[in-house]
Amino acid sequence: MIAIKTALIAWIALAPLGAQSLKLPASLDRLAAKASEVVDVTMDANLLQLAGRFLSDKDADDAKVKKLVDGLKGIYVRSFEFEKAGEYLDSDVEPIRAQLQAPAWSRIVGVRSVKSGENSEVYIKTENKKIGGLAILVTEPKQLTIVSIEGTIDPDQLSELGGHFGIPKVESDSQHKNSKGGKDE
Amino acid sequence: MKAALVVIASWMLACAVLEGAEREFDEIVRVVSNGFHTRPVHIPFFGLVNLATSVARPSGVKHVDLAVFENLDLGGHAAGDIAETIRSMDRGWLPFVRVHNHAETVLVYMTQERSDCKLLVVTIESGELTVVELKLNPEAMQGWLRDPDAAAVRSVSR
Repeated sequence: MIAIKTALIAWIALAPLGAQSLKLPASLDRLAAKASEVVDVTMDANLLQLAGRFLSDKDADDAKVKKLVDGLKGIYVRSFEFEKAGEYLDSDVEPIRAQLQAPAWSRIVGVRSVKSGENSEVYIKTENKKIGGLAILVTEPKQLTIVSIEGTIDPDQLSELGGHFGIPKVESDSQHKNSKGGKDE
Repeated sequence: MKAALVVIASWMLACAVLEGAEREFDEIVRVVSNGFHTRPVHIPFFGLVNLATSVARPSGVKHVDLAVFENLDLGGHAAGDIAETIRSMDRGWLPFVRVHNHAETVLVYMTQERSDCKLLVVTIESGELTVVELKLNPEAMQGWLRDPDAAAVRSVSR
């Protein structure tokens, strides 16, 4: 009985975590002071609805994005650019990675380039067996980009969103391998 | 006679709508002026710009309002103060892009006015504050949506 009560309390305590969206830690504000450029794109549900009205139905790419945007609740992009490599540390990114943990989050793409030092990761958030959001983390020696997409989205459609709203283009593992002739870096 | 009355009524309505838009921008300028205890710089013949935009629509801009404030004593919290001022005006301006680098901070807000999209671009640099309100056609807006931060920086450099 005690075990059941404990499990119930733990479940109640942890349940909201699954529904939480990605929170940008305060340590990122300290990074902003060091960065040579900080870009913040905020598109909440109201702005996405407004933006959707201005995407063209005639342009194939825009039409796809317009359809996609209908299912979204928000897109948030934070990008930091630094003058020199090494101005941000892994520990600055750690609070973000700590949030992107199972069971709510799963990593679906991880592309690491030894040559450029770029590391792209894509995570999906599942709620009641449905995808409730996406997070993209792109770390480069002189740049850090964090993207949080809230709402229903198919990860395969992410490439269509890339290049819009300040979201970087992220290749899936298979696309990356194909573009490199089957060889990963 | 009836046709003439319809034309006059339409023209008066159009003027009233334009005046409403002007008043809204004037309100932004007044709030900023009061907040920073200053007045915008007079830009001679700026009215001609809108005469040109009504004909040529450069970069998809249908209407532009501009206010430049110079010689300001801007503290480190200027961007935050401006953001709070715009939010408190409650005119439906939605925060969209914020670009900050060593030289300047650019704040971009978006709202809709009938079938057009309006952007409010505020640039803060050392001692200078520029407020631009742009009414854009859908094609120009699509450019902003594709690459918002680059568009924000481009709009400032123009």
